[in-house]
Order: sequence, then structure tokens, then C-alpha cells
Amino acid sequence: MNKNWRWLPAGIVPVVIVTAAVSGSAVAEAQPQLPAKTAQELLEFVATSTDDAYSGTVEQSSDLGLPDISMATPPGRTSSSDPTSTALELLTADHTAQVYVDGTEKARVQVLDQLAQRDVVINGNDAWYYDSESNEATHAALPDKDAVKADLEAKLQEKAAEHPELLNLPRTPAEVAEVFLARIDPSTEVQVEGTSRVAGRSAYELVLTPEDDATLIGSISVSVDSETGVPLNVTVLAKGQEEAAFSAGFSAVDFSTPDADVFAFTPPAGATVTEAPTADEVKAELEAKQDLARTPAEAPQQPTVIGEGWSTIVELPAGTAAGLGLDAAAGNAAGMGDIMEIKPGMDPEEVAGAQALLEQALTDVDGGKALQTSLVSVLVTDDGRILAGAVGVDQLVAASRQ
Amino acid sequence: MIAGVPAESAQAVRTPPVSAREFAIETRGLTKVFGRQRAVDGVDLAVPRGTVFGFLGPNGSGKTTTIRMLLGLAAATSGEIRLLDGAMPKDTRSVLPRVGALVEGPAIYPFLSGRANLQRFDAADRHTSPATRNARVDAALERVGLGHAAKKRAHAYSLGMKQRLGIANALLAPRDLLILDEPTNGLDPQGTREVRNLIRSLSDDGTTIFVSSHLLAEVEQMCTMIAVMSAGRLVAQGTLDELRSAGTARVRITTPDHADAHHVLAGLGLVPEIHGRDDVITAELSVPGLQPETVNAALVRADVRVRGFEASGASLEDRFVALTGEGFDVAG
Amino acid sequence: MPADVSLGLTLVVSEITVLFRRLRTWAMIGALALIPILIAVVVRVSSDGSASGRGPAFLDSITQNGLFVSLTALTVAIPLFLPLTIGVVAGDTIAGEANLGTLRYLLVAPAGRVRLLLVKYAGAALFCFVATLTVVVTGAIIGALLFPVGPVTLLSGDTVGIVGYFGRLLLLALYVTVSLLGLSAIGLFISTLTTIPVGAMAATAALAAVSQILGALPQLEWLHPWLFTNYWLGFGDLLRQPIVWNSFADNALLQSGYIAVFGALAYGRFSTKDILS
Ligand SMILES: Nc1ncnc2c1ncn2[C@@H]1O[C@H](COP(=O)(O)OP(=O)(O)OP(=O)(O)O)[C@@H](O)[C@H]1O
Ligand SMILES: [Mg+2]
Repeated sequence: MNKNWRWLPAGIVPVVIVTAAVSGSAVAEAQPQLPAKTAQELLEFVATSTDDAYSGTVEQSSDLGLPDISMATPPGRTSSSDPTSTALELLTADHTAQVYVDGTEKARVQVLDQLAQRDVVINGNDAWYYDSESNEATHAALPDKDAVKADLEAKLQEKAAEHPELLNLPRTPAEVAEVFLARIDPSTEVQVEGTSRVAGRSAYELVLTPEDDATLIGSISVSVDSETGVPLNVTVLAKGQEEAAFSAGFSAVDFSTPDADVFAFTPPAGATVTEAPTADEVKAELEAKQDLARTPAEAPQQPTVIGEGWSTIVELPAGTAAGLGLDAAAGNAAGMGDIMEIKPGMDPEEVAGAQALLEQALTDVDGGKALQTSLVSVLVTDDGRILAGAVGVDQLVAASRQ
Repeated sequence: MIAGVPAESAQAVRTPPVSAREFAIETRGLTKVFGRQRAVDGVDLAVPRGTVFGFLGPNGSGKTTTIRMLLGLAAATSGEIRLLDGAMPKDTRSVLPRVGALVEGPAIYPFLSGRANLQRFDAADRHTSPATRNARVDAALERVGLGHAAKKRAHAYSLGMKQRLGIANALLAPRDLLILDEPTNGLDPQGTREVRNLIRSLSDDGTTIFVSSHLLAEVEQMCTMIAVMSAGRLVAQGTLDELRSAGTARVRITTPDHADAHHVLAGLGLVPEIHGRDDVITAELSVPGLQPETVNAALVRADVRVRGFEASGASLEDRFVALTGEGFDVAG
Repeated sequence: MPADVSLGLTLVVSEITVLFRRLRTWAMIGALALIPILIAVVVRVSSDGSASGRGPAFLDSITQNGLFVSLTALTVAIPLFLPLTIGVVAGDTIAGEANLGTLRYLLVAPAGRVRLLLVKYAGAALFCFVATLTVVVTGAIIGALLFPVGPVTLLSGDTVGIVGYFGRLLLLALYVTVSLLGLSAIGLFISTLTTIPVGAMAATAALAAVSQILGALPQLEWLHPWLFTNYWLGFGDLLRQPIVWNSFADNALLQSGYIAVFGALAYGRFSTKDILS
């Protein structure tokens, strides 16, 4: 008696599941039909995007070829008391964040960790940072918007003196787009490479390809929402790599105004609440620290910029490395932070700590020690200089000899 | 002659009429192979409705395996099964509610009381009414004499009590067919007698009862028909009388006139046999219609001095041994 | 044939009754209840007010709010104790009946093989819920007895009242129950493979451990979304404001995938199996 057909479901179900998974991603990868747009139009579209009230889930992942520090701490336990691991974790680990935005005045970003959460809430002139694990809340009073605006205007006027093409800029988002294109054109190919689906929405794929042999960056693709012009996803490919070295994008997005309650934050009872120093206080503190770190003989030195475009190398003067390794001089570390594309708002000391840890991952090269990730290389020369850029280590070595 | 039973071992017993409706159980070429072993080998059972049918066979002859296939617990390697009005295992849902069964001894939840055990099994049948469950369970317990031990945890039951519980389980609902695998196993004499009476009374109510056993005496007392299994094969099937008469009687003569007796017996067409002692001669009554008294008369007519004359009828035990073999070892 | 054909729900009721009449079931529930009790008592006895930042999640919050005992206990119970008890119940489903021999009488009744599988699975699923609820409720009770209780701070820093918190605890119990359904299906399948219940129990619990180990290896990142333990600790998403439903949805989808696959396997195996015990 043949009862083998009863095993049929056991054969069919996995096939159905795999098919559904594959076709699900096929649907996700299916290219929607959208009216054609030139790169220029698309950049303008991005700039004119006005839909600034939305909420969604942002997934960030990076594969920089750095050691995975998530192994060093138990899952779900990123000890926030250790700035080094926090910084490194933000760099190397994958993140999911819940984002709520309502205009420029209200925003909330929730970095979702397992059984923990870090929140940044901006509501008008108030900014809160809350860490559930340490149950610590930090409040910052944001400077008056008008003052910031005035400051910005002044800076622009300054810049405009250096660069005449900026004279009447930026006035409208479209003009920003034009300038952006003009700036990146010499070494960058900007193309619209079809369409895609991101977070269930159809999007244009804007791809920037550095035509520069020296840089490690292969290409940058930006998925632009076809309805609102809001960039939904950014993916950076390193040269010669199939997998994205860095990507951040929406896995779900909802272009409706989030509930006002979301932006109301009161620190919970029992939480440690600290008041963050104002911008001026921070500035003053940093300067004081820098003075301390320097011997009187050494004149304050600025970082030098070597090359241009995508393969720009930044050189930090002698003494920096020592300061970083031992003293964690805040100012220099902040400089490194720029190069490492560490996000603004990160505590400079954390960045310095990260540097110290990174130093352990350095390999010996001719004339110093180097760290190479898939996107960025760092060289610490024997005479104490630091060179960094989105180029190969040999480029840094060559630059260090000039 | 029954199809599938080899000619040399099967005796012509009873050729069942072909109407399927007449049988509570009917199998054709039922076979079960375990690895290389043919545990059940081409069995053609025909159990008429209303009979108490004995299913005989030595240990390991394939009785339980056959019953498992009848009840849809094990799939037949080949062959067909009809149970009541349906084909098994296709019609399990419609057939089995009308069948009560005890398969290879009782099985219990040791942590439940006897009553709770029965309630559990009764709940498994979606055709039974929850409203009458308690009454039916209690009635079944009374019927097997477990009324007083109903609330006792089953792990505290003796072997015989468990056996009774197993029988009670088969009696939870009115059944058209009872399949009982060695129902008196482990029972005390009273229990054995009660089960026998129970089976009789159930049979009187019209229930067909299929009882497997290796106890000849038991089968002889309860059953109207039997089938005999040996090493997976069905070697005989029919009414008790048919089976008995199918066996041949023997005569055993003690006489000093050895040669004369031999002559007379040979003259009657028999094959005399001499066993060790030279004053004893035996012969199988292999000539149809030849009665022992005829043999005796012929001896007397020939002036053979007969010291002793013994006619042994065909006992079921002889038949059983003849059919299933003399050896004590279980057929592998 | 009896005229009245009931819905057949009586077997579910019977299954649940039998499950919860077993001493073993209550021993496991008792052991699960002991987890929050132990945590609360130890914290209470050794409480010196200092938050060490080490130990399982929410441990430091207990002294301020006893309601957190539930969460700490769940975090402790999920990786080991819950899967262990689920392994025992799910692994026992068919193999246990086969071992007792009662399986043949259930099938001869006839229970119907598919129906019996479904009923057995329903019993295991209910046990998942009861087991989880035991940890949560015992935690809340012992926490309320030994520590002050009050509005609860969520992971996002927002505060909910006690009523809102209990709503979330219920959701949480539901989440953990759903998390364990895949494992139950695996246990059910393994249980159809053998007549030795201990073997099926051990194999099921071991698989939960293996899956968690694989989930901890970053080299197997591609595999992680397919592991049934992947979202086990994702219940934290229900403690955010607003609630993030992603892991609940992903988890439910994943678990239903496991239920479908192992349910189909269990069906294939059990419906073709010779019951020889
Ligand atoms: N699960 C099994 N696997 C392999 N062989 C088996 C299995 N069950 C039974 N057998 C074999 O099948 C044959 C018939 O066994 P069965 O249990 O049907 O005998 P029985 O007639 O019921 O014997 P008894 O009178 O001892 O109960 C035996 O040789 C036995 O070894
Ligand atoms: Mg037997």
C-alpha cells in the first residue's frame, strides 16, 4: 500500500517557503516602472523634497573588515560605561533604529538594542539622550534656531568670498543640487541607474561613481523615493567588493505625521539626569584641553590635506599619535573622527578611546603601522604623524614620504 | 480449499461464501514483512458475523501483527482487509467506532485512575457522546468487575486488573465487532470464567467476537469457529467440528497375535505401525468411513486375541500440534 | 454507529486534563516559578543599593520596582529553562503515548492520526503559554511582595502605569509563547520518530541549545534569520514606546514557518508510521 504521498506536504512546504522567500526578495528587487529622470532632475528632486514628517525603521549595517566587537561583550549588553566599545560598536555592528521626524523641530531616534534602547529626542529647543541600560538621561538646551540661522548666513558669506560660485547660494534646494553636481563632477560620475523598491516604495537609484583609481570607494548609491524625493537608502560599495561596506536605509517607512506624544520626553523617575554643557562651554573646554596636551614649544598645527576629490588624504601633524594613544587629546581625536566618518554628536573622548583600541589592530608597514578597512585606511608613521583617507595603505605611505 | 493456503498444510475445511456482507472480517493475501521476515504471509481470513472466532497460533506466529493490520495500526505490506462494511485502513473513521479492541495486552496511564483512563480513551472517539460518557465508563467498569477499584490509580492495579481495564475499554460503546488479543492473559480462574461468560453474552447480543489465543482449551470452550496460524501462515480455518473431524482417528491394539493383527489391518486397507513393544500395533484410520468398531469386529472375526483396544478420536490439541509443528522453539 | 457526532473537542479537553494531571507537569511549573522567586529573594537579601550593571537585564531595576522581577526572570528562563520544559512536553507528545502503549488505544478509538497530532500540538502550545505565564505572574507577585512597586520605566525612558504594564506583560507572555511554538513543532516531529520519550525530549532540548549556539556565531550571520531561536530575546520590543511590532511579526512568521515544516514532517511520519508498541 503506497502511503508515500503523505510525505508530500513535508516536501512541498519547504519548497513553498523557499519560493516565497525568494520571490519576496524578487518582488523587493523588482524594478518599478517610473517616469525617466536625469541625474540632474533627480538631485533637484531630492533637494526639493518637502515631505519632512515621517516615521520608519532604519537598518544600518557595515562590513568594513574591522574586528567584530559584538563578540567581546555578551549579546544585548553593550556596556555604555565603556565609550570605546560604544564607539566601535556603532562603527562595526549592525543597528536597527526607529526614526520619527516631524519637521525640523521634532525628531526622535531610537537605537534598538536587544533588551535595551538608546533614545535621542529633539523637541523644539530641548534635546534628550536616554540610555535604558544605565538609566541615564542627558538634557541639552538647543541654541535658538534664529541664532543658528544667522550664524549660518554669516559663514556662507565668508565662504562666498573664497568661492565666487557660491555667491548667491544656497538659496533654494534646487540650487544646492546644482552646486553639488558641479562640485562632484570632475572626479565623479553621477548616474540614474534604474529604479528599485525600498521599504515597499518605489525609488530611483542615484549612483555616484568616483572615477579615481586611488580611492577605496567603489560607488555610492542613493535610493530616492519616487513620490517624496526623500532618500530612502544609501549604500557604499568598496572597490572590488560585492557586499556593501556600509548601508543605511529604511526597512519600513510611513510618510504620515507621527503622533505628537512620541516627541514628548520626561525622564523617568529614578533616572540619573545630567545637563549637557552648552555649545560655548564645550568649545571652551576643548580649547583648554588642547592647550594642556601641547608643550609650549609646539606651535598649534592644523591638519594638512593632500590631494583632492575622493582620494583626499588628511595628515595630522607629529605628536598626534602619541597624544591619541596615551592622552586621548580631544581635539585631535575629533579630527580623526571626521576622517573616520564618525557621526557628529559623538563624544570626542569616545572616539579617542576607539582610536586606542583600533591601534591594537594596526599592522606593521614600511615606516609605520597601518590599519586598513574596506573603505578607509589609517597610517601611523614612526615619527608620530597620522595619515588617513579613503585610499589604500600604500597611497598613505607614499603621501607620508612627501 | 482456501486460496493462499498451501495445499500440503491446509485441510479442506470450509469454503466461505463470497458475499462480503456476511463477514465481519475478511482479508485477502494479507502480508506483513518486517525486514526479511514475513511475519504474516498471505493470510485469507473470513470471520462470519455473529460468530465467536478463535484465532489460534503459537507464540510469534503473527496473530498480534494480523490484528494490528486489521485495526489500521500497521500498514499491510500487501493484501486487502475488509472490516465490517469498510475497507481498512481507508475507512478507519467509519469502521473503528463500531469495533472494540484489546491489542497485545492492556495499556494504561499509570498516573490516572481506572475511570479516568477509560474516560480518556472514550474521549478519543469523536463519535461517542460526552453526555453519556460517565455512565458508559461506569457500566464498562462494572461489567469487568472493577467497579470498586474505579478510583484507584491505575499504576496500583494488578496484572489481572489491568487486563480487565483493557477489556472494559473495548466495551465502552456498543460494538458490532470485538477484537480481543489474548483477553484472559493474567486473569485468575474466576476472571477467566467471567470473561468467557462475558464473551458469550456479548455474542448472544449479536456481536462478532474475534479472540486470539494460544490456549486451546479456552478456544475450545468459547469459540464456534477457529483459524490457526503458524509461522505467519494461516494453516486452517473452519468450525470446531470441521477441524476436529478433519483429523484422523487412530486405533491402538494390544495383542499377542501380532502377525494376525497386522494381516487383518492390512486387509482393511490400513497401514499398521509397530512401536517398540512387539505386542502393540497402531494404525491411522485413513480409510474413509472406516470406524474403529469395524476394525474391532474384523479382529474378532479373524480370532485375533485382543488384550486391549483403544480408539483415539482427533483431539484439537493433536490437530493443533499437527498443524503448527511439534517443536517448542518459536518460529523465527 | 452512535448517532451523535460531537465536535471532537473533547479530546483536546482530555489532552489538557491528562497533561495537567501529571505530577511531572506541575514539577516543571514549580521549577519555573522558582526562577523569579530565587531572583527576587537573592536580590532582596543581598541588596545594598548599588547597581552593578552586570547580570541579566533589568536586574538592577528590581530594587526600585518589584515588577521588574518578571522581566529578569523571563530573560533568565528563555535560553534554558523554558526550552527544557517545552522539550519535555513536546518530546513526550507521541513518544510518551507510544511508550505507554496507550497510543494504539487512542488510534483504535479512533482518534484519527491527524487529529491526534493537532490535539497533541495544541496541548504543547498551551503548556508553552502556561509556562511563560507562570514565570511572569510569579515574578510580579514575588516582586510586589518584596519590593516597592510603581509605574514602570520602559526601555525608551517613557513610563507606564501598573495597568498598562500588566497589559504589556500579557503581550510579552504571548510573544514568548509564540517564540516557543516552533520548538514545540520540532519536538512533536521528533516525538513521532521514536517510542522512547526521553530520547525525544533530550533531542528537542538539545536542538534549542544548538540553535542558540549557532545564533551566537557571527560567522553564520546568513543563517541567523532562519534560526527558530533568533527572536527569542526580542521581546524587549514590546517594552518600547511606541511598541515596535517588527520582531513580533518577524517572529510569528518565522515560527509559523517552523510549524509548517515540522508539522508537515510530523504528519508525513505519523500518518505512515506502523504503531507496533
Ligand atoms: N516491531 C517488529 N519488528 C520486527 N519484527 C516483529 C515486530 N513485531 C513482531 N515481529 C515479528 O513478527 C512475528 C509475529 O509476531 P506477533 O507479535 O504477531 O506474534 P503473536 O502471534 O502475537 O505471538 P504471541 O502469541 O507471543 O503474542 C514474530 O516473529 C515477531 O518477531
Ligand atoms: Mg501477540
